[in-house]
Amino acid sequence: MSSFFSIIATFTVPEQVGVTPYSMLWLLPLVAAIATVYKTTKLPKIKAGYFIKEVTVLFGSIVVFMLIAALVLYVMAWFITE
Amino acid sequence: MATRPKESHALFLFTVGLLAWCVPGAGHFILKEKKHAIIIFVTIVLAFCIGIYIGSIGVINPVGAKPWYVAQLMNSPIVMVLGHLVMTGDYPVYGRPNEIGQIYTSIAGLLNLLCIVNAVYWAYLRKTELVGV
Repeated sequence: MSSFFSIIATFTVPEQVGVTPYSMLWLLPLVAAIATVYKTTKLPKIKAGYFIKEVTVLFGSIVVFMLIAALVLYVMAWFITE
Repeated sequence: MATRPKESHALFLFTVGLLAWCVPGAGHFILKEKKHAIIIFVTIVLAFCIGIYIGSIGVINPVGAKPWYVAQLMNSPIVMVLGHLVMTGDYPVYGRPNEIGQIYTSIAGLLNLLCIVNAVYWAYLRKTELVGV
């Protein structure tokens, strides 16, 4: 019972997340969730292999697009500040 | 095959939507789409739990972050209970944990909204297939 309460207690105190480049990695689980739910609503029948392939492709597409967007913003910021 | 009266079908669509809001995936479950229901439930609950794990339940703030709260409310009515708890001011959260927690919980809510609409649409399609409209 005490372990149950200690688990619940972790939801009442925020975790330490620094403002570092690594904190951007928190993006990945969220992208995985978005890709999974989106593909679940789109596919009328779910077959494990095909579903995983579709989710992986969408996950990769979103990550690549965000990397390109980040790169463009970085270059723009570099031009403005230099 | 006997057709349902219009009113009872509207009630059925409303029930599907309401169930899908109360428990993520429940709308698909009553449409006998068990695989869809399980995937939706696990993914949305996990995303929501990661959000409140990172930022604590303080990220559900009905007073100071109303737009985020509206999106979070799409997860389940339970969010209202958490929001009521947070209004006491005992769970302050700032900075990056607050941002990440709010983004996770709100996106989970919006994903559930997508699933609610999807479940109601599938329920509607099945009716029209049965009737042949």
